[in-house]
Amino acid sequence: MDNTVIPVSEKAKCSCGASIIGIFPCAGASNVGQLSNAIAVELHKKGTGNMMCTVGIGGKRSGLLKSAEACESIIVIDGCPVNCAKATMEEAGIPIGKHILLTDMDIKKNKELDLDPSQVQEFLSKVEEML
Amino acid sequence: MNNMKIEILGTGCAKCDKTKRFVEEAVAKAGVDAEIVKVEDMDDIIAYGVLITPAVVVDGDVKIVGRVPKVEEVIEWITQ
Repeated sequence: MDNTVIPVSEKAKCSCGASIIGIFPCAGASNVGQLSNAIAVELHKKGTGNMMCTVGIGGKRSGLLKSAEACESIIVIDGCPVNCAKATMEEAGIPIGKHILLTDMDIKKNKELDLDPSQVQEFLSKVEEML
Repeated sequence: MNNMKIEILGTGCAKCDKTKRFVEEAVAKAGVDAEIVKVEDMDDIIAYGVLITPAVVVDGDVKIVGRVPKVEEVIEWITQ
């Protein structure tokens, strides 16, 4: 049986037919949390995968849970070692294909929420090298 | 008591149509009163948090995403 799927966002005539990669950032309230979100947005725009709502997994929203379960693979991006996004996926029983921890990449966590675009590009490149 | 509402999410292809047929078959076999609605608008589909189709929603609860369900699966959902 053909169970391949395609994301709705690809605006194909129909959304059934290929496979997708789900990208789940922690989007936490820190520089690295916000950086995780910005990187997920950029990866989505570049077609690496589809950014999805991590908080919807934590909130056990059925549409998000079932969409995550239907992904071919899952990328989780956590800003800091608290690893909230990873724990959220594990709690929901969703297998993680690739887990990325930004503070493993020579950046220190702080409470600054405004991002420097050049820093986003720098860490986007580092994340892409890991995928 | 209100009738059950079953929504088939998909923009329209063989898999979406097959899903609808299987849901109709399941409803007939189970003998339940259910309104079956096809949802084809992308915005309405994404509103459920569904990013991949086909998908089936029973009374607001998303039961399956990304594949055509078996008739037996649908019967299980609608007879719980």
